[in-house]
Amino acid sequence: MTGFLENLSIGYQVAFSATNLLYCFIGVFIGTLIGVLPGIGPAGAISLLLPITFGISPVSAIIMLAGIYYGAQYGGSTTSILVNIPGESTTVVTCLDGYQMARKGRAGPALGMAAFGSFIAGTIGTLILMFVSRPLSEFGLKFGPPEYFSLIILALTLLTYFARGSKIKAIVMAILGIALSQIGIDIVTGRVRFTFGIPNLEDGIGLVPLVMGLFGVGEILTNLEESVSMEIFKAKIKGLLPNFKDWVASIGAIFRGTFLGFFLGILPGGGAIISPFISYALEKKLSKYPENFGKGVIEGVAGPESANNAATSGAFIPLLTLGLPSNAVTALLLGALMIHGLQPGPFLIKQHPDIFWGTIMSMYIGNILLLILNLPLIGLWVKLLKVPYKILFPFLLFFCVIGSYSINNSTFDVLLMFFFGIIGYLFRKFGYEPAPLVLAFVLGDMLENSLRQSLLLSLGSLSIFFTRPISVSCLIIAVLLFFLPIFLRKGWQTKTKLISHP
Amino acid sequence: MKKYGRLGSLIWVVLGVGLCIGSIRLKLGGIHNPGPGFLPFLTGMLLGIFGLILAFSGSSKDPREDEVEIKDTLSMKNLKKNLKPLSTLLILFAYILLIEPLGFLLASFLFLFSLFKLSEPRKWLKPLVISLCAVILSYLIFYVWLRCQFPRGIFGI
Repeated sequence: MTGFLENLSIGYQVAFSATNLLYCFIGVFIGTLIGVLPGIGPAGAISLLLPITFGISPVSAIIMLAGIYYGAQYGGSTTSILVNIPGESTTVVTCLDGYQMARKGRAGPALGMAAFGSFIAGTIGTLILMFVSRPLSEFGLKFGPPEYFSLIILALTLLTYFARGSKIKAIVMAILGIALSQIGIDIVTGRVRFTFGIPNLEDGIGLVPLVMGLFGVGEILTNLEESVSMEIFKAKIKGLLPNFKDWVASIGAIFRGTFLGFFLGILPGGGAIISPFISYALEKKLSKYPENFGKGVIEGVAGPESANNAATSGAFIPLLTLGLPSNAVTALLLGALMIHGLQPGPFLIKQHPDIFWGTIMSMYIGNILLLILNLPLIGLWVKLLKVPYKILFPFLLFFCVIGSYSINNSTFDVLLMFFFGIIGYLFRKFGYEPAPLVLAFVLGDMLENSLRQSLLLSLGSLSIFFTRPISVSCLIIAVLLFFLPIFLRKGWQTKTKLISHP
Repeated sequence: MKKYGRLGSLIWVVLGVGLCIGSIRLKLGGIHNPGPGFLPFLTGMLLGIFGLILAFSGSSKDPREDEVEIKDTLSMKNLKKNLKPLSTLLILFAYILLIEPLGFLLASFLFLFSLFKLSEPRKWLKPLVISLCAVILSYLIFYVWLRCQFPRGIFGI
């Protein structure tokens, strides 16, 4: 207990230093900004700002980048409620009841409840993160190469299981991500692999040009084609504080959304995206008036908004305790930590308590700042929504170029970004999700090293993966998850046949 | 509509085969001592297999798969729709090529100005002012404040 309090004190000192307070504010401010603006997500924004963090301390960098991640969840709801276009993929469900509430003149309480729900969920999520991280990281010490290999296989299977659209396409993306991670010098033998004689590729493909291209340029090009038109809700926003009746209706949804979101967020594969949908379905199921959902029910805003925020806290658990990212954004955070010479994993808490506890404590501060940014300053974001996309996209592209260039001062990285931008655009057109690719790309090195180390340890026996309890459990779950959609699909087809031919 | 999507899936097969051939050249090693081509070979094989599954699987019966609409990029009727992203890509490519010889300031100004003109072809003053302000501001933020290194080009600016 004393150690825990000591750590809290370290975190408190780190988070409350003037510099880190400033970076926390910058992070949540940019997070809200990109959340409000459709067309750029937290992954794009973090990769954009990654080069800027080179000059600052690692803890300040992580505080700022984490702030962008959870801040984007707050901002995304504003666009969903006022414009009926989700600012983020995690706020799609908020459009359903949030926009209907705005149309009925209740935009204020919808925005207010989204912010309060997010605040409560963010704070509780951080609290759980604080208590479970330490025991989990101690558990993580039991992990050797075979356990890491099986866990990565499980992570990638989960990612493809939860993917939107075609599962096979998600699997192809994950395999392609692993293939891309193998470009460059093999660290064991020193052999150069798949560089096609290009010296710039010997260090491998950079994470920033890859993410900037796939998420930044690819998304901008798609938006240009679709010419997003934004009709902003024109009535004056009043009464941001929800009334007693609103609170009574929402409080259960907030707590259910929080716990649901947090535990789904731990799972790889975009828990933050899935959790609002499940929360919405759950609230509808539990409601006394399910027929009113979609017509402007406040629980339909409170539950999903809490779920997506809690999921971001949950996503930090595998990252900080095992060094495994669970989505594209945490993969970038992992990249950021590694750029600063830190290896997230079980030893992070012990070796760098300032970074671990400082980041956690900053999340409390960040949540308070976000509440201020998203309630009294809502007018600022509404004004920003009025900036047309034709003005916005040149700046976004310009920042993508600056971000890619400044990481190594290399035009080659910008060319790589351009190449992946075209690929990302085509992926979107053909229904491929780039997120599994990015995650697999980040995990690829770890996967290869753990596989080779395991095989060397076992003198070439594959039994090493099946005789160790953690490893075999992960592999069994992965196999079950892999075949589950096939069985479910078969069941669904049989059911359809029975219905059509009774 | 989905024809191009299926044909496109064969790209994965080609890539997978290429990866396998490249891996064999790198030396696969054995299961006792995996070589540099070991995992790339497995990756190539899996990519090829799933590419084949994707190419030859029938139309989706999974209702969730129907959410994904494969758009036909190549048809003429969509050419106008695709013109803006294509022009943007061309401008971006020109910018990347010109940033070293012209320098950051001049190339960035031309890049932003071209993109604004693309959106508003009839206006001159607004794109000019916005591009100029954006370049000066970015120079102050990234070069002066954050000390990022940018190419100076033949004019030395």
